[in-house]
Amino acid sequence: MRWGTQAGQGVTPALLTDFILMADSKALPALDEDPVAVEALLRDVFGIVVEEAIRKGTNASEKVCEWKEPEELKQLLDLELRRCGESREQILERCRAVIRYSVKTGHPRFFNQLFSGMDPHALAGRIITESLNTSPYTYEIAPVFVLMEEEVLKQLRALVGWDSGDGVFCPGGSISNMYAVNLARYQRYPDCKQRGLRALPPLALFSSEECHYSIKKGAAFLGLGTDSVRVVKADESGRMIPEDLERQISLAEAEGAVPFLVSATSGTTVLGAFDPLDAIANVCQRHGLWLHVDAAWGGSVLLSRTHRHLLDGIQRVDSVAWNPHKLLTAGLQCSALLLRDTTNLLKRCHGSQASYLFQQDKFYDVALDTGDKVVQCGRRVDCLKLWLMWKAQGGQGLERRVDRAFALARYLVEEIKKREGFELVMEPEFVNVCFWFVPPSLRGKQESPDYMERLSKVAPVLKERMVKEGSMMIGYQPRGGQGNFFRMVVANPAQTRADMDFLLSELERLGQDL
Amino acid sequence: MTLDTISNCQLQCPEWCFHALKKGDSDQEEIVPSKKSAILVDGVVLNGPTTDAKAGEKFVEEACRLIMEEVVLKATDVNEKVCEWRPPEQLKQLVDLELRDKGEPHHRLLELCQDVIHYSVKTNHPRFFNQLYAGLDYYALVARFMTEALNPSIYTYEVSPVFLLVEEAILKKMIEFVGWKEGDGIFNPGGSVSNMYAIHLARYKYFPEIKEKGLSGLPRLIFFTSAECHYSMKKAASFLGIGTENVCFVETDGRGRMIPAELEKQIWQARKQLLDYIKANVFIAREGMALVPCCVPAQPSPDTCFLKRLSFTLQDDVEVIMGAAPFLVCATSGTTVLGAFDPLDEIADICERHDLWLHVDASWGGSALMSRKHRTLLHGIHRKYFWFAYKKSKPERFILIAASCAYAQTCYELKSKVQCSPKVAPAIKERMMKKGSLMLGYQPHRGKVNFFRQVVISPQVSREDMDFLLDEIDLLGKDM
Repeated sequence: MRWGTQAGQGVTPALLTDFILMADSKALPALDEDPVAVEALLRDVFGIVVEEAIRKGTNASEKVCEWKEPEELKQLLDLELRRCGESREQILERCRAVIRYSVKTGHPRFFNQLFSGMDPHALAGRIITESLNTSPYTYEIAPVFVLMEEEVLKQLRALVGWDSGDGVFCPGGSISNMYAVNLARYQRYPDCKQRGLRALPPLALFSSEECHYSIKKGAAFLGLGTDSVRVVKADESGRMIPEDLERQISLAEAEGAVPFLVSATSGTTVLGAFDPLDAIANVCQRHGLWLHVDAAWGGSVLLSRTHRHLLDGIQRVDSVAWNPHKLLTAGLQCSALLLRDTTNLLKRCHGSQASYLFQQDKFYDVALDTGDKVVQCGRRVDCLKLWLMWKAQGGQGLERRVDRAFALARYLVEEIKKREGFELVMEPEFVNVCFWFVPPSLRGKQESPDYMERLSKVAPVLKERMVKEGSMMIGYQPRGGQGNFFRMVVANPAQTRADMDFLLSELERLGQDL
Repeated sequence: MTLDTISNCQLQCPEWCFHALKKGDSDQEEIVPSKKSAILVDGVVLNGPTTDAKAGEKFVEEACRLIMEEVVLKATDVNEKVCEWRPPEQLKQLVDLELRDKGEPHHRLLELCQDVIHYSVKTNHPRFFNQLYAGLDYYALVARFMTEALNPSIYTYEVSPVFLLVEEAILKKMIEFVGWKEGDGIFNPGGSVSNMYAIHLARYKYFPEIKEKGLSGLPRLIFFTSAECHYSMKKAASFLGIGTENVCFVETDGRGRMIPAELEKQIWQARKQLLDYIKANVFIAREGMALVPCCVPAQPSPDTCFLKRLSFTLQDDVEVIMGAAPFLVCATSGTTVLGAFDPLDEIADICERHDLWLHVDASWGGSALMSRKHRTLLHGIHRKYFWFAYKKSKPERFILIAASCAYAQTCYELKSKVQCSPKVAPAIKERMMKKGSLMLGYQPHRGKVNFFRQVVISPQVSREDMDFLLDEIDLLGKDM
């Protein structure tokens, strides 16, 4: 070992002594020396987590959120990071504060996003993942997780209808979508990896007007530019129109662009629509285009024998993005990218054979090392939570959950039809129930010229009221010429009929004076 | 209560409801029969939750107890094994990985958890030296448990008020350590993605049209990085559409640090290439279609704006230049193998002269900023346009037991009778893993055959572990 400062000068004896003293045989002080203190800390925090986040956080009689304005919240949390550490009591208080002011996404009345609820087995899996703290880039470092990821992906592919293929877990659906675009581009133009896009003609990809915004973000990030995303019209139910896709492809070709990928959506973000995959696959086949399905939201429907027909044709596609952290409550993040490919496309496209990680002279079969399949280096283990939950529920248990979500959504739709003051935006295919709450003052006034404008103001007001009360959270958005409407999402397996009823009653209560 | 509009039948039989739920469920789901009448919709009984919250809680508690005993409390115990090596085929037999239709009972699930833990590598172990992460910080760990239990997504203040403010506070602190009064930032899923963001931002800064128009038709964007840089720079070049052949690797000195003079040389070369091409080949069309030669400054000029203006003027008229437009330099603070720190001040000078974005990949070495004694290694990091990719996703701290941060990482070859054979390290690695006593990485590097890379991170590591490291390798390689 050589010693020296960066300037290449020798180290003075005094400095050397300093270091040797520091490197005394004991490890650093504080908790590390005291297993009793460690256990006590973990037990205390765990107690707080169970009580406040798990028990109360999923209890309908507790609040969904404890709203505070940002400036006030900053004061309450005392966020400043200082030079000195704090006492154990202070740390425990902080844990309580973080939980108290965080939104309880596991609450039965958290309807705001495409994820909600809390599965205990998935949670246990996540806590184990955190404590084992590793990255699944090599079998050497993460033997169990490398094999487990393989097994889980195999199961997911089987549900798509493939008995072979490839795949990987990505940090979120947006990245999974980006991977698909990158792979399609590489397959069409393998040179692109070395030469970049300037060596290629302008490319074109296609997605419906209802697609997730990650397609556009992805196009910009990958160097294609948002203009390269051609928008295909959707019908009144939000489904891509295959004839318009055909038209857009011709248009792009006429402009001198080269179409290379279509991204269909199974379960759109707002309406929960399912693009007609068979028809789209026909178009792609005719033109030799890669067909990717963004099934981040709707992929879990494949678990239900009753409802999987919504994704008919999915076995014909080239890639699927599927987020179990949404409808399956596996916990953020958990997003799988599945490929039909068996030519090692993932590794060829992303591999760089870093010699310090993927040595070819290892004593086991290095084909198992997954690191070269991804653009990340360190990567989170996202398969354990899904695996453990699946082990606990079985495929049948997960199917029951999906069926139940559909049934609850159906129940809600019928209730909305019966109640005055509620109007469906459309008959849903999935578990997104979109509707307007029409306050008493606007009822019967549909013909009025400013009806939509006035109706549009209702949702934001109700949202503010419900958040400040902490009674529930539901999202709203405009769409096309339609004013703001609520988007109810039925996903939490702990939700009951009572929660559906509550949603409607609470809106009525909060909006009775509007 | 009747629901005529629902197309399926209605039920008024609590006992039926109870039986329907009980049938086919695994034994952990003890459903309490509901007092209300059940509703059947699409063949699904809708009444009460489907899972027993108490049983779920109990499982989480038991999993935590397991973690406490098997992972946390054993983490500092050097008598425990670092890893429990099994070849893949055998491991597939030992851990029942298959996913089936039916769920498993409570006790079996706990056994599975135990297996997963047992056969996983103990990255918390004081003798786990394999990667650029190791060790266990208890406070970070409990915070991670809390984060998982709350399951947030940090996109809006509405859904994630606390975490958004916490992120802001941490980034502000980190920015202070870098030496900036203000700035911006975000947490990413890993250093590779952080590096990608930097490259993407730099190109957007110089060519904002890229966001809509993409790279097709732009001048050839190139960026510079050290020959010792992390491989994510290459991956980034491909992913972002720039292409790996447009990454220029700058030579490093004997200690693994980028040589500033080499960087400067490469930048001039790239610009000259472009300007030569323009002089020789490019004409600008004016109104009335008369072509005139393009005016090029006599001296190569570090004017990116000129290049940008030029390329877009020409785009409509003549074939686009295929010359090079440098836009970014990536320096590394703490290289992956040797732990070298590029001379940031000198590199910053060059970047200022040429108006290039300077990104610092300090994923590994950034934490040295927290040490007043050792932060000089990153001197110059506050200079203009620095960006700072910092690995914070796992609990880690540096323990500095060597003369400088660069030497918290030491590289050495095992001297054996067979001098510098590439076969020594892999053989010893195999032995140490099968024994489970130690884990240490090796790699070939820049013409040198396989050598070990020792990394010290974990606060639980002591001087005795360092002694053990050398003794154990000696022992394992005795017969070689």
